[in-house]
Amino acid sequence: MNGTITGGWGFVWSAYGLTAFFLTAYAVSLFVRLRNERSR
Amino acid sequence: MTPNHRFPRAPYALLALGVILLLLGSYLGLFVAPPEHFMGDVQRIMYVHVPTAWNALLAMTFALVCAIAFLFRGDFRWDARMEAAIEVGVLLAFLLCCQGAIWAKPTWGVWWDWDPRLTTTAVLLFAFIGILALRRFVDDPVRRATWSAVATIIAYADVPIVYYSVTWWNSLHQLQSSPATVSKSFHLPLRMNAFAILFLMTGFIMLRARLASLRLEHELAPPPHELDAVGELA
Repeated sequence: MNGTITGGWGFVWSAYGLTAFFLTAYAVSLFVRLRNERSR
Repeated sequence: MTPNHRFPRAPYALLALGVILLLLGSYLGLFVAPPEHFMGDVQRIMYVHVPTAWNALLAMTFALVCAIAFLFRGDFRWDARMEAAIEVGVLLAFLLCCQGAIWAKPTWGVWWDWDPRLTTTAVLLFAFIGILALRRFVDDPVRRATWSAVATIIAYADVPIVYYSVTWWNSLHQLQSSPATVSKSFHLPLRMNAFAILFLMTGFIMLRARLASLRLEHELAPPPHELDAVGELA
């Protein structure tokens, strides 16, 4: 043991994946809401 | 017409630029930058977590500016921008809490701890969610804009507390990360992702402000039967 955390790539991918998912989902929701509002 | 209508493609260009920079910065952060001495590869979460934090606080600061501008000028374009900045700020603050929890588990051994930084960030997130909820429940546009502007100014008081919480109190959370406090080899991916999320945030706020302006236009437009009556009189 040398005090360094080993592994942990699962946590890294989870953080990046979650960020990509929510940013994409928000962008899609924004485009859909804008299109609906323009077609009212 | 909101100012960004003069540049209709500007938000889309910012979003595209943000996505390209985020992909490049994340590639550098994940595969090129060296692992940190104690945290190893887990520290790579910093390249997305810290830029999200900076931009969440920036979005809320812009909401504060819009709130003050609305109260002084009474211009609904500031109200639309405030609504947009709060919504995007909430999105980033939510992401911030999730990324933080994922980073906390391998380094602290827990997903969440009620330490000052985490608690004040959670308070900030729920305060701004509350303002969005308040806007849903008030029908009168003037009252809605005024009340939410005042609420934004009050909720903003938590932003400096979040920022300085790690220096004011004993905290599990490390001190603020910035290019001045991290190794030089981490600078490039950190800066690239900071600008990437800044561009994405700005593009989102511009589009969301357009949506808020369109909704207000429809809300204030006379109902169709009144328009028919005007037509008959003419």
